[in-house]
Amino acid sequence: MIEAKDLVKRYGPHTAVDHATFKIERGEIVGFLGPNGAGKTTTMNMLTGYLSSTEGTVTVDGMNILEHPLEVKKRIGYLPENPPLYPEMTVREYLQFAGEIKKVPKQELAKRIDEVMHTVGITDVAGRLVKNLSKGYKQRVGLAQAMIGKPDILILDEPTAGLDPKQILEIRQLIKDLGKTHTVILSSHILPEVSAVCKRVLIINQGKIVADDTPENLAKRLLGGSHLQLRVDGSVQQVEGVLRKIPAVKNLSFKESQEPGTVELVVESDKDADIRRDVSKALGSAGLPILMMRSLDMTLEEIFLHLTTKEEEVAKV
Amino acid sequence: MIAILKRELKSYFLTPIGYIYMGFFLLVAGVFFTFGNLITRSSQYTGFLGGILFIYLFAVPLLTMRLFSEEKRQRTDQLLLTSPISIPEIVLGKFLAAFTVYLITLVITVMYAVVVGVFGDLSFWETLGAYIGFIFIGASYISVGVFVSAGTENQLTSALVSFFSLLMIWLIDPISNSLPVELVAGVIFASLLVVALCAYIYLNTKNLYITLAVFLVGAIIITATYFIDKMVFIGFMRKFLSWFSLNKRYENFSMGLLKVDSLVYYLSFTGLFLFLTVRLIEKQRWV
Repeated sequence: MIEAKDLVKRYGPHTAVDHATFKIERGEIVGFLGPNGAGKTTTMNMLTGYLSSTEGTVTVDGMNILEHPLEVKKRIGYLPENPPLYPEMTVREYLQFAGEIKKVPKQELAKRIDEVMHTVGITDVAGRLVKNLSKGYKQRVGLAQAMIGKPDILILDEPTAGLDPKQILEIRQLIKDLGKTHTVILSSHILPEVSAVCKRVLIINQGKIVADDTPENLAKRLLGGSHLQLRVDGSVQQVEGVLRKIPAVKNLSFKESQEPGTVELVVESDKDADIRRDVSKALGSAGLPILMMRSLDMTLEEIFLHLTTKEEEVAKV
Repeated sequence: MIAILKRELKSYFLTPIGYIYMGFFLLVAGVFFTFGNLITRSSQYTGFLGGILFIYLFAVPLLTMRLFSEEKRQRTDQLLLTSPISIPEIVLGKFLAAFTVYLITLVITVMYAVVVGVFGDLSFWETLGAYIGFIFIGASYISVGVFVSAGTENQLTSALVSFFSLLMIWLIDPISNSLPVELVAGVIFASLLVVALCAYIYLNTKNLYITLAVFLVGAIIITATYFIDKMVFIGFMRKFLSWFSLNKRYENFSMGLLKVDSLVYYLSFTGLFLFLTVRLIEKQRWV
């Protein structure tokens, strides 16, 4: 459906997007996840044809965006981070204009405007000036604009940014509903949002795609086994000697501890084994008191941090 | 294109800018007419029209300043450029919207001509010629404003740069009249043009060989022309600058002469600047 191949965007010496390659199939809801400035918006701008790529190609339904710009743009509805609204127009006037430039047939346009206004829930503000709308309503008008040309693909850049919690939930539900009939690509720097809405996540960091999977698979793949974080009163040699004797323990990685006279470590074990009792008994009987024990079930939040801050460590896992 | 034109026209009158333009223009034109024709009881209408041309120097930047700069500031250019509509359509739609407001305002001044015609002696053909001239010269002014607007993100910058660009076009005649006409001056000027062209090519392509080739061709042409016909270089600077003079060609119209070459000139000037606008917008997507 939409395919990016070796997409590169350079601004002078700075590389904003670095050889991004991915393929998104019909009906998927895909989330671009990454910290601010990771290249999410630039990637989206290239997918929609707003910016041209320095290298690489974008194809939609087999058509290159540079060779068939109008055909491709017809298939894509784009909601940029700041909804592109004209403040001096009313909502209906604005959607009328959007429909006209998206080449909606004249006789269908009025009906289509009513439809999208109903879908995003802005029918009651149809006659109001855009500049007098709240942020949440502006976002919806922007969404209505993206949908009005009946595109197959919706590209939404930070669709919930700047909304209050109630509006965020409403917009998310709306995106989920839209996902039943559209291919949706959205970007976010907030994890729960992506895991709540998307079936597939592309994690982007410093212009590179560092992971591409379902939220659940990402968690599994990165964890490998189960992890236990420990802080023990004792020395590295003592603790290692004791723990190595437990059969389910696969790996020990020691870290710098903040408290003097203690060691901090992560114990990796076989996937299904629960080693907490064994560890506790073994260390207790060896006279090494446990000061802290925490099970490391990596949340998406941690995976994200892991991927974006310590790429080397992840590579080892 | 029609959608862009409609929205742009509407927006002239939904925001104050359309009224500011019309108000400013009609006020100054009214003052000119009152003092130039009514109080002095003169039926010299083409003199008044010559004055109007001067008002456009200030008024056209008002008309064009927000066309593209405001889209960029509001980020609405993202809507236009990601919609199935081509850039030439966008540029043409916006140009025609500004041109329509320009024409509507111009038509209002016909009322003055009627006043002169009823109470005095209106030279009909010259007046008609002058109005036809306005249609074409206005299109040229507006195309400059459209181009400048596409290169700026701020309305004020856009208005000022348009104003100074138009001012330069205005000043071409007085400046070129005081330029040296000697043979040597012409040759030096032609050489400078070649060097400037080479610099432009080098900065854009970073290709030394093409630049050198262009330089050589330029040098050969200048040398050859020098030996074949020295007269070409006499007054060359003046001739070159007059190619860019919009106002000089207007004089024919106000004398009641409808010259095809002038019409073609204005149309090509407008077309060139609209084309450059399209190129500029396309280039901005590659930056």
